[in-house]
Amino acid sequence: MQDTTIILQILWTSLATSTYYVLFAVAFALVLKVTRLFNFAQAGVMTIAFYTAFVVVQWLEWPAWAAFIVMMVVTLTASYALERIGFEALRRRGVSVMFVFVFTFMVSEFVAYVAMLIFGTWPQTIFPTIFWPVTLVGEIAVSGWDLPAMGATVAALAAFFAFMRFTRTGQFMIGVADNPGLAELYGIDKRQIFLVTMLIAGAFVGLGMFLYGTRAQVLPQTALSLMLFAVVATIIGGIGNVAGAAIAAVILGIVQNASILVIPSEWQGFLLYIFLFFAIVFFPNGLKLPRRRTRFGTATRNTPPAGDAPAETQA
Amino acid sequence: MAGVLEVKNLSKSFDGIVVARNVDLTLQSGRVVGLIGPNGAGKTSLFNLICGVVKPDDGMVLLEGKSLDGQPFHQRVRDGLSRTWQHTRLFPSLPVIDNLLVGTHDYPGERLINVLFGPARLRAHDTIARDKAQGLLGKMGLGSVANDLVSDLPYGQQKLVGVARALMGDAKCLLLDEPMAGVEGQAYAAMQRVVREVAESGVAVCVVEHNIAFVRDLCDEGVFMFSGAILARGSLAELIRDPQLTELYFGH
Amino acid sequence: MEYLYGIIIIVGLYVILATSFNLIIGYGGLVSIAHPVFFALGAYTSAILSRDFGVPVLLAMLAGMLVALVASIALALPSLRVSGDYLMIASIGFQLGLLEVIKNFRFTGGPGGLTNIPPFLIRDFGRESYVLLVLAVMLGVIALVWWISRGDYGRAMSAMRDDELAFSSIGRDAMWMKIAIFALGSGIAGFAGALYAHYFRYIAPEQFEILQSAAILTMVVVGGMRTTWGPVVGALLLQALPQAITFLNLPPSVLGPIQGLLFTGLVLVFMFVRPQGLVPAKDIWRAVPRAKAEETR
Repeated sequence: MQDTTIILQILWTSLATSTYYVLFAVAFALVLKVTRLFNFAQAGVMTIAFYTAFVVVQWLEWPAWAAFIVMMVVTLTASYALERIGFEALRRRGVSVMFVFVFTFMVSEFVAYVAMLIFGTWPQTIFPTIFWPVTLVGEIAVSGWDLPAMGATVAALAAFFAFMRFTRTGQFMIGVADNPGLAELYGIDKRQIFLVTMLIAGAFVGLGMFLYGTRAQVLPQTALSLMLFAVVATIIGGIGNVAGAAIAAVILGIVQNASILVIPSEWQGFLLYIFLFFAIVFFPNGLKLPRRRTRFGTATRNTPPAGDAPAETQA
Repeated sequence: MAGVLEVKNLSKSFDGIVVARNVDLTLQSGRVVGLIGPNGAGKTSLFNLICGVVKPDDGMVLLEGKSLDGQPFHQRVRDGLSRTWQHTRLFPSLPVIDNLLVGTHDYPGERLINVLFGPARLRAHDTIARDKAQGLLGKMGLGSVANDLVSDLPYGQQKLVGVARALMGDAKCLLLDEPMAGVEGQAYAAMQRVVREVAESGVAVCVVEHNIAFVRDLCDEGVFMFSGAILARGSLAELIRDPQLTELYFGH
Repeated sequence: MEYLYGIIIIVGLYVILATSFNLIIGYGGLVSIAHPVFFALGAYTSAILSRDFGVPVLLAMLAGMLVALVASIALALPSLRVSGDYLMIASIGFQLGLLEVIKNFRFTGGPGGLTNIPPFLIRDFGRESYVLLVLAVMLGVIALVWWISRGDYGRAMSAMRDDELAFSSIGRDAMWMKIAIFALGSGIAGFAGALYAHYFRYIAPEQFEILQSAAILTMVVVGGMRTTWGPVVGALLLQALPQAITFLNLPPSVLGPIQGLLFTGLVLVFMFVRPQGLVPAKDIWRAVPRAKAEETR
């Protein structure tokens, strides 16, 4: 039936395109969970990832697999630098939430302007074309991009969840996420854990941007808009809940794609902001923010929102 | 007899740990209740529940017969509740007297309308507030440090400033969280005197304290808490003599 | 001469924007990047009302300020009900989202923007009068923020920033104070937007983008948060810089990013080298100079 076909098509396309959204959301949610940091600088890393791949493929004319490897190396290096040079310095100084926000926001903007300067403001893609061969499965159009993308994403997520559950480092990450002070008392090296977290997030970001840039056009400021998706998914999925963020990303992707049936296409982009507002207005105390800190990097002297346990010692 | 503050059947758990277990407590005008018990008994948690900083799982809190359910903390304070903190929580960027001035019951300066269109009203309020603040500081022997920074004061004096700030709001019920912790000497005597006077003026007072001598000299009755529950009530003398309670207290 | 007037007005408007933004993030302690969008709301409201509905310009300007103010409350109220962190996130969404709306609506002229915005004062009194108007508003805003921060309200804001829980424990309503500060700052930005619209008579979405957020944030952070003169210094400095590089005759495609790099790079450098900014804020809030306080007692 016509309608079923349309619905299935939308479902399939949404699933395929939700791959990169899931990766971005998981990266953001993971960093937030373990380091208690809203890493808006992720947009900067995303921009770096894309343009690296772009340069390798289109300027150096190397094969795709080489581009992927180079991109990963550069992205991980950027994540390393961000954590070791940036966040560590901020933690050491005990700066405020405002300071961290300005820093992460400015880093992303700085990277965007460098990109603008070097690459200009017209849309680019990693490969010269974003047209992939299409096969018809039944009546559903399946792009040659879809299956490899979904396969890569599922593999990455599976590896990640296995890592979190079965390795010591993964367990330590959860320990630091739940109670950093206690984790330190148990001898867990927080510095290392934060670095590992940022590197894992960097890997997701790299894969995500490679997928996105081989299917859609990218401008220097695109990453910031993509980030918003990740943020909304993280809020809806429940802060501290990485799996929730992933699921929310998929659902948001489906809803956004399905909305083409009901609203004109130029409004699709706007939908996300509506979601953000709904998330904030209707998911208030149900979602708990990580214990708020007045000073970045420390876990003492919190100012709890109503409903949370204060930091005063229990007498 | 109905009290100024009534806690009825208050219960709360966090992650499986019971911090309040069917707690009943009545605070009456002019009387000082001492809340004692070992660390982790739930005493400060009870204060947090009464203040609305933490939402209870069950039970209610009544201030002068009116339920406080759903009222945010600052609204409860305006209704007549007041509390001090274990770690003072003074405002480090404000001099001592300004810490008090911002704590008056009505603070017209917190509304932009008054700032923009009613400077005369602000000036009038300021005069009255300053008199009151100086008076309170004077009673505590802190008159000379009114313009000093909080961080310049010894800890004992800081705690007195905390109590003074809590008294600026004409509270009907005052919750003191370990006012004597870290305090000795002149500040100790001053604190005792202040709490006595506050009670005598008709305020219902509840003190969480570990300093048994302080509690014994000051409180009209005692309440012993353990693991979130009230185990015993009575005169401080009785509670202190009870061997089981003593073991619970010091056994931890 | 006209060129100079244009520069003075732009600088004046940026001082107004930086000062009002300082009120929000410096004195109010609120984290938000949504300032340019309120500037835009004021500009568009005033332009549309006066051009398409015949509303007298002055009234339209005031309406612009009102719309910005109401919109800011619509943003802040649900967000601050939860926490300041939510406001931070919501402000990003609001800034990006509302600009999407403006870009896509035919009503607001779409990406091409609005032209033929009715002029104000210039026809009758010359350009000089508009310059004086902007400078007068600028001085008024500086005085207003100074007045607010020095009096009882400043005391309360300082206490709120120090310890919000303790602030509540003495009966003060932190949430409404934050909303009021946010609304006032955003309303001022809206009025500045209207002033912009009726002088340059052409507004387009690209003038209100994230670059503006970065620029205004830089002016406040580099100039010095929580001081009266910090944002002024920041605005002057950061307006001088782009003017200086226009003399290098760079192509516009390079000029924009270079300006962006300057803004963001400056903030990053300052954050690590001199986080307090050019004009450092005093740590302690005092009502009147100490000597006077002793006198009145």
